[in-house]
Amino acid sequence: MTMLRVRDMTVRFGGIVALDGVSLDLNRGEILGLIGPNGAGKTTLFNCISGVIAPDKGTIFFEGHSLVYAPPHVRARFGIARTFQNLQLWGSMTVAENLVVPMDALGRRNTFSDALHLPFSSYAERASMERARAILHVLDLDRYAGTLAGDLPAGIQRRVEIARALAMRPRLLLLDEPAAGLDAQETARLAELLHAVRERFHVSMLLVDHDMSLVMRVCDYVYVLDFGKLLARGQPAAIRSDPKVIAAYLGEESKKLEGEVATVVPTRPQQAPLLEVKQLAAGYGGLEVVRDIDLAVRPGEVVACIGANGAGKTTTLRAISGMIHPRRGRVMFGGRDVTGTSAERIAQLGLIHIPEGRGLFPNLSVEDTLRLVSNTAGHDVNITPAFELFPKLRQRRRQLVGTLSGGEQQMVALGRAILSEPRLVMIDEMSQGLAPTVVRQLFDIIRVFREQGIAVLLVEQFVESALDVADRAYVFEHGSIRLSGPAVELRADRKLVAGSYLGTAVDATAVAAANGNGNGHHVDPALMEIVSVRVPAKVKRALEQRAEVEGRPTGAVAIELLEKVDHQ
Amino acid sequence: MTSRLIFRVLMALVAFAVLARIPVGFDVGFKFDAGLAVIWAFALLSLVLLTGYVGQISLCQATFAGIGAYTAGMMSATFHVDYIVAVAAGVAAAFVLGLLVGLPALRLHGITLAIVTLGIALVFDRYVFQDHAFEWLTGGTGGWRVGQTSMFGLQMDSSKHLMGAYVVLLALFCVVALLMVNLHESGAGRRFRAIRDSELAAATMGVNLTRYKLLAFGMSAAIAGMGGAFYPLVAGSVSPQPFWLFTSLQFAAIAVLMGVRYVPAAALGGAFMAFVPDVLTRYGHGTLFGRPYEISYDWFQIAVGVLLIVQLITLPDGVWGDLRQRVLHMRSAVGGLGGRKVKVA
Repeated sequence: MTMLRVRDMTVRFGGIVALDGVSLDLNRGEILGLIGPNGAGKTTLFNCISGVIAPDKGTIFFEGHSLVYAPPHVRARFGIARTFQNLQLWGSMTVAENLVVPMDALGRRNTFSDALHLPFSSYAERASMERARAILHVLDLDRYAGTLAGDLPAGIQRRVEIARALAMRPRLLLLDEPAAGLDAQETARLAELLHAVRERFHVSMLLVDHDMSLVMRVCDYVYVLDFGKLLARGQPAAIRSDPKVIAAYLGEESKKLEGEVATVVPTRPQQAPLLEVKQLAAGYGGLEVVRDIDLAVRPGEVVACIGANGAGKTTTLRAISGMIHPRRGRVMFGGRDVTGTSAERIAQLGLIHIPEGRGLFPNLSVEDTLRLVSNTAGHDVNITPAFELFPKLRQRRRQLVGTLSGGEQQMVALGRAILSEPRLVMIDEMSQGLAPTVVRQLFDIIRVFREQGIAVLLVEQFVESALDVADRAYVFEHGSIRLSGPAVELRADRKLVAGSYLGTAVDATAVAAANGNGNGHHVDPALMEIVSVRVPAKVKRALEQRAEVEGRPTGAVAIELLEKVDHQ
Repeated sequence: MTSRLIFRVLMALVAFAVLARIPVGFDVGFKFDAGLAVIWAFALLSLVLLTGYVGQISLCQATFAGIGAYTAGMMSATFHVDYIVAVAAGVAAAFVLGLLVGLPALRLHGITLAIVTLGIALVFDRYVFQDHAFEWLTGGTGGWRVGQTSMFGLQMDSSKHLMGAYVVLLALFCVVALLMVNLHESGAGRRFRAIRDSELAAATMGVNLTRYKLLAFGMSAAIAGMGGAFYPLVAGSVSPQPFWLFTSLQFAAIAVLMGVRYVPAAALGGAFMAFVPDVLTRYGHGTLFGRPYEISYDWFQIAVGVLLIVQLITLPDGVWGDLRQRVLHMRSAVGGLGGRKVKVA
């Protein structure tokens, strides 16, 4: 029986068609997966269903109601609940209160009776609180009921988001990237949780996620979007081996494999590495995104970092360039230890980072943007080399950067990088949102960089193109490096790389389990939660040190200490 | 829950009893200041609801108070109604204006909303309160004189019976403040706070944004208007000067200074705004070490500015908010020394 029927959904943002006539059916009791590469339109479709944006064309029916003109809170009344990719809990309220709000909002209660504390209001209040505790119990979140939601680590906040959505008694649960930032083991537990939620709360789900291991494990049926269009749909197993889907994720298989291998400069292992990263770990807030990263770039070498979204590639670049502080490990650049050095100092040493979204100023002209370089280098710089590299920019020198096309903006960013005479350029998602012809042009520029002796560290979603240009590559998965090797070898074994994108569900958990015993970070996730929430960072560090000295897992040390406190 | 409610009611009663006695022994000037303090406290309380709870910015709270004042003055001077009816009319007028101002807030956020409300304050300041076309509301250049009137059938005279007006005003403030505290913990208050923390999540979790934002603006304006409606009774007349643009800005500054999320901070701020300038003009001149000195009203403005900068650095949650936090901390620390077992897990 169809619960949600989406027909011919079309959404345009300015000139860009984000969704182009997509139709989708979701049956009652089903967990439906929605996947696709970056910019495929998944989140747009999701926002259309939950009412955050209005489609230009198309219809949505939910249990017989047309949703086109229904504002978000009306959809919530119909029984559609959602979670958010960028956590949207109400941070100044406790976890229990977060669950009570949607319950109350759906029951009609009066502001004035609430302010007067009329008996009827406080009765409803208590009833909601009871239900909130029951839901928290089912999701194993009881102990956080009284904690402010904003103080929790991100992993727990994700679970609270699911709990909050369930508090609405939804019939359809929309999950927006629930596995973002979770490691392999946490993802496995999330999959179990979602199955349990379906059984206990009788909800259907629509799941958007980049993490294929989750989608493959949980979903009954999968829709694949690419460039706003429906690319494929089917059972998870069929989708995983669908050549069209693999092509959408990895880019077209290049035919010229044999011919141009010779152009790849042979690696120079004898030279000392320009950039050397050892045992790096970094993250945000309560979340450790990458750990145990070992990576090296030699002078004049092009190195690619590939892997699914959320695997930790961008975080690694940020930790290297000083935009975030590494938690552990060392970063050596040009023989100098630059761990924890400020970003501008690292840039002066000749390590240029072009972030995702290019980091340009939209209201400066092309020429002014390029001239800015002279300020950071400390002396005036001739900007003609940038124009020689990109003749197109010379014509547009007076134009504001914000009005340029995406490809031209990327040229400005590359041009700016080359003017500061770097030794290493790190480029994050250079080809994001660009047309294939433009992407090819930009990859040619990478070759120019190499000829000039500039090393390049690339983070790239077009795996084939990246491996084409790179000497070596690292494959990221769940926050650590899973594979590394010469690009030629990785290219030859296409299946190996595809595995880390489309999920080698069984292997991934096996790897995590094997790691878990070794480094002590995944010993007992429940205990680690206690330690990460209730204990100040200083105490936590002391605990970890003590555990290391005694050679036992942190969890065990924490338990022992807690017992001691209880005895006293 | 109920014991907390009883505690709050008791606190409100005690606060009322103490504050109602304080101005008795002082001269008319200070009595006037006391009345004014409660009027300003109402305006600050309206910001606690609007900014502290719902997270909306408004720079036209003095306009709401002014509408309350002029409507009450008009009702009293033109129609000679019982003054409490005039107050009700003032509150109603402010509520309606609040709903209208709330309309742009459905689409605007942050700085744009601030500019729009600033524009509204400017328009009312220049073209309503000081314009001939609205003389029926404002009573012309002289404003309304509310010399003698009655409230609940009792004689009220601004020159002699200032205390009567003050007590009624204070009682109303205590009731409204109590309601505001209750609201914070209740379901509706939580919906308000949900809008403040994440509008997107609130909407998709079933909170009707249109309704609750408009309600917040309406209620906030009504609270500011309630204070303003007493202005003619306390001051004896209305003029545009107390409700001009700058007062609105001052409300915003003082609300942030004292702690925009806390109800008692509004009372504190009201007293600060009413008494400090008067004390400065009274005792701000004399001789010190044989040299004459004079501290004029200008110094008050400078002091507010400096205090605001100091507060934002050292007490980011406002004077009341941070002091409260420190007292709670100290209490729990003392409690911990008393041998209570500290639960870690």
